[in-house]
Amino acid sequence: MSIIKENMANGIELYVNKLNKFKTVTINVYISNKLSHETAKFALLPSVLRRGSFNFKTYKEITKHLEDLYGAMFAYSVYKKGERQIAQFKMEIVDSTYLKEDILEESVKFISDILLNPLILNGGFEQTYVQQEKEKQKNLINSRINEKTKYAVERCIEEMCKDEDYSIYELGNVDDVDKVDEKNLYEYYKKAIKSLPIDIFVVGNVDVDNVKEFFNKHFKIERTNVEVIPDTPILRKIDKVKYVEDRLDVTQGKLTLGYRTNVNPWDEEYFSLLVLSGVLGGGPFSKLFMNVRERESLAYYAQTRLERFKGLMLVMSGIEIENYEKALEIIQKQVEEIKSGNISHYEFNSSVKALVSSLNSIKDSGTQLADFYLSQKLSHTDYSIDDFIKKIEEVTIDDIVDVSKKLQLDTVYFMTKNEE
Amino acid sequence: MMEIFNDLIKEKMYKYEHESGLNVFVMPKKGFIKQYAMFATHYGSNDREFIIPGESEPTHVPDGIAHFLEHKMFEEESGSIFEEFSKNGASANAYTNFTTTAYLFSCTDNFYDNLRLLLDFVQRPYFTDENVEKEKGIIAQEIRMYDDDPSWRLFFNMLGGLYHVHPVKIDIAGTIESISKIDKDILYKCYNTFYHPSNMVLFAVGDVDVDKVAEIVNDNVKSKKRDGHIKRIYPNEPSKINKNYVEQKMSVSMPLFNIGFKDNDIGYGGKRLLKKDITTQICLEILAGRSSDLYEELYNDGLIDTTFDVEYVGEVDHGYSIIGGQSIDPEAVKKALIAKISSIYKIDDADFYRIRRKLLGRFIKSFNSVESIAHNFISYYMKDINILDFTSVIEDITPDDVLDRFKTYFNEDNCVLSIVKP
Repeated sequence: MSIIKENMANGIELYVNKLNKFKTVTINVYISNKLSHETAKFALLPSVLRRGSFNFKTYKEITKHLEDLYGAMFAYSVYKKGERQIAQFKMEIVDSTYLKEDILEESVKFISDILLNPLILNGGFEQTYVQQEKEKQKNLINSRINEKTKYAVERCIEEMCKDEDYSIYELGNVDDVDKVDEKNLYEYYKKAIKSLPIDIFVVGNVDVDNVKEFFNKHFKIERTNVEVIPDTPILRKIDKVKYVEDRLDVTQGKLTLGYRTNVNPWDEEYFSLLVLSGVLGGGPFSKLFMNVRERESLAYYAQTRLERFKGLMLVMSGIEIENYEKALEIIQKQVEEIKSGNISHYEFNSSVKALVSSLNSIKDSGTQLADFYLSQKLSHTDYSIDDFIKKIEEVTIDDIVDVSKKLQLDTVYFMTKNEE
Repeated sequence: MMEIFNDLIKEKMYKYEHESGLNVFVMPKKGFIKQYAMFATHYGSNDREFIIPGESEPTHVPDGIAHFLEHKMFEEESGSIFEEFSKNGASANAYTNFTTTAYLFSCTDNFYDNLRLLLDFVQRPYFTDENVEKEKGIIAQEIRMYDDDPSWRLFFNMLGGLYHVHPVKIDIAGTIESISKIDKDILYKCYNTFYHPSNMVLFAVGDVDVDKVAEIVNDNVKSKKRDGHIKRIYPNEPSKINKNYVEQKMSVSMPLFNIGFKDNDIGYGGKRLLKKDITTQICLEILAGRSSDLYEELYNDGLIDTTFDVEYVGEVDHGYSIIGGQSIDPEAVKKALIAKISSIYKIDDADFYRIRRKLLGRFIKSFNSVESIAHNFISYYMKDINILDFTSVIEDITPDDVLDRFKTYFNEDNCVLSIVKP
């Protein structure tokens, strides 16, 4: 398996991975920006663009066209990796092997049309589209509260990184959305599409030359002074642990612990950190699962998550409200166990194997492959999946103990119920 | 060994029946790294009352027991079976729904060892008073997690509006109160009734060898004797809906809604059910899908957003459609929907063929992932449907079938609106 990198005439990087095992071809276009006061505006762009283009004026026309292309999937999402905000446009089409026609060029044409050929009236985007999408974005920002499990983690991060750009929500805030109109959004769009980094990943049973030709032909745009998005600051010294509590109408408490890892995405120690996170809360073999769930019956879930590009490790669990002290103590004790080297071979080996298995699984998904390559690029590393696996397999228990010394608890967040 | 082939998607599946009555299916996927196997029993939360083979009196069980049993199967006398899978680098899991309990693992190595483990642990229950008590705390937290989940509440409130007595209206995990009544004896009783190979199916997918799978099944599946069948007892569900409106207050930012349509054309599985399933999906797409007039109107009026979606669920003994999302005014959405339904008196050919192309494309795409293949396979299997029949059945559907379904199924009388309000 190998990926071919092509630099297009306009400086956009195009990556093609020819693989013939899939039933579909996946096209991912990533546009990157820095989190800032313009985050809300940047996040609004994809939703306005997909409302209508020069060739497909309405969402209905767009959808009909996609349905005609055998239910081609076109989706966008806006998220962050570190303090980099990313707008992802994804298209997935059925491989022509299973059809009577080849729809690849038509698909490249479509994605180019949506991105580069927007519907413009009187020097701005279609006003009603902008208004409607602004309302929708505000609703989405407000509805973060609906999914408590996810929201508890986001709130922990927000409090933890209060004075850092990383605390900015990926869709921005409601006030910033209000400031956008069809004119200033269009001005912003013209600048963004010209100067923000764009990466395109194509995975599937395709002819590399064809892909290159189609993109050069349809994805035409003048590009100048492409911005370099700075790496996200990671290192941070913690003097005092912050304790934060939110009171909501819930029956279950959500306990989240935010740790600073002080490890950069490109550091060799990152591999040790991955195994550490696995040992602590990466699966049923982990210390958290064994102790918080199985031994004490305190939670249904107790697990870890790494934010590689911000150097954070989150521990999350859902518990009975009166068990707060007990759960907090047991969770912190597990981290101490790791620091003092109490890691069994079973915990260690299982964690390594689980990581290797999930890395290998990436090879079965076009979207995950694209994300893997993007992450390599953002961490200035050039590992193939197999290199990455080799690095994981070289980690020792001593390495985990070493990297654990860098962990610092920053914030303890608890979502609890309103007082009666 | 029987071979099932689908020419359009170029996939092949092998079927084998073990002497115990266990049906085994294998779909080899060359070039895929991940391997996946599911061992499932036709036993879910709907099975609250039944007559055990050889007995004459019905047995009633506490709500949530199928799900509780699923949790407990992972415990072994020597500890947890998770440990054995973890040592192999495999990840094991399970789920319980209304009709099925399924155990599964995914791995990229040691597939045959993991398959042996899967077959072994599901055939080896180990319940003690102590380990049953311990599980109650964990499941209580799982129940509480769902209690705080607005989408889950919305869904069950909708089912409660649609159904008077059908068990589908009851939470799969039961309640903290109902699970408190569970003990090891009743768990063994349910286990022995429903975990018989003749009531189960094994499905494996990935770059695996068909003969080797059969060999492992032969070596590891016990041929238990069984006389007679399980008689499942379901209450008589009236065809009318229970309530046409249900609401609950929760901490959400704006109202969430599910509009449900109760399906009374039930009582069969197989290709006939598959045809109804696809026909209804086409109806829903034409009615309120992303390319429909209604979607455009509602979206432009600010009544729906991108969370709006349509779905049909067709089981053998029940079925319903869900149209839902978030909205400032769910009542207005329902009103527009009902008005649209009554205005449909013909199906536009262009719409029909376009939606059919879309569903076909989505079907082909679903064979990209071993997980989705396995999950779809099991879900269809429990309704006596072979998933590879999809392409021939969809070819068979006409615009008249769709119109017919519109006329007989979608109407205001069998429709419920469920809302979760801030």
